[in-house]
Amino acid sequence: MALIELSKVGKDYASGPEVVRALKEVDLEIGAGEFVAVIGASGSGKSTLMNILGCLDRPTRGSYRLAGVDVSGRSADARAIVRNRLIGFVFQGFNLLPRTTALENVELPLVYRGVSARARRRRAIAALAKVGLADRLGHSPAQLSGGQQQRVAIARALVTDPPLVLADEPTGNLDTRTSYEVLALLQALVRDRGLTVVLVTHEPDIAACASRVVTVRDGRIQADERTAEPTRAARLLEELGGAPE
Amino acid sequence: MRLFTSLAIAYAALSRSWLRSLLTTLGVLIGVAAVVVVTALGTGARERVGSQIESMGTNLLFVWSQPIARSGLRVASFGLTDGDAQAIRREAPAAALVATYCDQKLSVVSAYGNERTDVVGVDSHYLGARRFEVQGGRMWTPSEELMKAKVVLIGQTAIEKLFPGRDPVGEYIRIGKHPFRVIGTLKPKGQSPFEDQDDRILMPIGSWRARVDPTMAGKVELILVSAQSASQVEPAKRQIEAILRQRHRIQEDEENDFAVHSQESFQRGQEAVYGVLSLLLLTVAAISLMVGGVGVMNIMLVSVTERTREIGVRMAIGARRLDIQLQFLAESVALTSFGGILGVGLAAVVVWGLKAWLGWSMRMSGSSVLLALTTSLAIGLVFGFLPARRAANLDPIEALRHE
Ligand SMILES: Nc1ncnc2c1ncn2[C@@H]1O[C@H](COP(=O)(O)OP(=O)(O)O)[C@@H](O)[C@H]1O
Ligand SMILES: [Mg+2]
Repeated sequence: MALIELSKVGKDYASGPEVVRALKEVDLEIGAGEFVAVIGASGSGKSTLMNILGCLDRPTRGSYRLAGVDVSGRSADARAIVRNRLIGFVFQGFNLLPRTTALENVELPLVYRGVSARARRRRAIAALAKVGLADRLGHSPAQLSGGQQQRVAIARALVTDPPLVLADEPTGNLDTRTSYEVLALLQALVRDRGLTVVLVTHEPDIAACASRVVTVRDGRIQADERTAEPTRAARLLEELGGAPE
Repeated sequence: MRLFTSLAIAYAALSRSWLRSLLTTLGVLIGVAAVVVVTALGTGARERVGSQIESMGTNLLFVWSQPIARSGLRVASFGLTDGDAQAIRREAPAAALVATYCDQKLSVVSAYGNERTDVVGVDSHYLGARRFEVQGGRMWTPSEELMKAKVVLIGQTAIEKLFPGRDPVGEYIRIGKHPFRVIGTLKPKGQSPFEDQDDRILMPIGSWRARVDPTMAGKVELILVSAQSASQVEPAKRQIEAILRQRHRIQEDEENDFAVHSQESFQRGQEAVYGVLSLLLLTVAAISLMVGGVGVMNIMLVSVTERTREIGVRMAIGARRLDIQLQFLAESVALTSFGGILGVGLAAVVVWGLKAWLGWSMRMSGSSVLLALTTSLAIGLVFGFLPARRAANLDPIEALRHE
């Protein structure tokens, strides 16, 4: 059974008097442990697809089964619970809460899960250690570099141990080196933990790191190809040379 | 659990911008302080009036004559007489002490000064009923009362006016053309709600009617009755009314030509005055609280707009609508209760200041503090509701895209 099953999914937006058909008849299956890159021109419907995959939005047509459960018609609160249990988000703009420490940011998903304060703290510290920020627990986002902020965001996405991580242009605001660092981290998580990652990107070298590349064009899936030999981001980092930050 | 977490988050958010929080909550702060101060004033005043009325004596009834209209014509009252007082003494079992009383404000001359004071003629029951006590010298004797002797007892304020720094016992005073000998002094009693109870000179009522106002021969201005006990005040009042109606030959369908007031009815009158005053001030306080509430609502709406992206993030990582709503409700409640606590603090300072510098009698009651705090909490809930609901109803995608 695939982790994600989209069948004939469509999404319309009412934009004034016209209807924008942002997604048309999308069929997509993603299995557990896959690392999928979604590419396509601006306005092609990538974010719309990601919002539906992330249960932030509901499809206008078609069905979406996540981990075998149809979530396409669920209420806002039910989808909030699905997001909290099954999905971790990494955003282009990091979206950490300002004036809030890295530790508190990472604890937040566990707060909404009702985890006790002590367990929250323990799990958040472990998640931050995994992304290499064990020594930055008390720093606020303003005191962290972009790469560090994105790693805090990844820790926040992973702290609940979700099977699926969705990342809409996670490297869009990062320089090449930090982009590769983030990517290496995600690859390691896929390899070591069997995590499923769906990632939107513009950059071909980033897409080349994925095990599968889905190309979206004009609201449809134009191409869906498996990469025989995904690039290892760790190797890209080595090639860049110089000392890591 | 969630509520507690929300409150903790809310207080953390408040402390990050405490100056803004303070300004926002100023209306609530002032409103709460006003409520507590006004209530303290009311409580203090009631207690003072209570103790003043208490000082007049206990379970007292005051009987006055009162002119009445009979079949359209205004008929002068027959007035009250010694006979009426004796009848009450004889026939009203609920009455313990019955005293007769006449008074006039007059110019009194001593060897050291010339002052206006209250010149009162009473019988010997008066001191007991009104709880006056002789401090120095002696009370007049029954034979002096009978003989209409020219002797007086003098109160402390009158002593200060007429015999400053001297012992007046044995001295003489002159009222009109009559000299009177001071035979004793009265223990100080302080203020009643109506007058300084120590600014007076007492003499036998017979002497008063003979030398001060001969037109009052046989009559009395006021009959003062002390009931046997608190529960006997009402029966005493009914008995007095029955006796006087019979003696004054008042028909079934006619009104009384006299009035009987209890001490308690004075107190009720005073309380009504304070009640109106308190109501007025509390209205002002309520308006201030309202304005404060609207201010909090305004700031919370601004806060929701400013933090739209944060709300989007919280929703994306699993906050349900109720979680968001509780978070913002908790923040507005934290704001107003913060204002409430500071308001109680301000009130405590104001009450302390008024007591220390102006000598006002005030008492901050625990119940008023509790009421004020509950009110400030309720204001946070009521005025925080709309902003909180607006936050909870945001669409996560649009919220995340905000800015
Ligand atoms: N909320 C919306 N209302 C109206 N049109 C929208 C909305 N969101 C997206 N669209 C439209 O849907 C299409 C796909 O948008 P999007 O999924 O954001 O593209 P991409 O992420 O690939 O750049 C675009 O034409 C965009 O204008
Ligand atoms: Mg996009």
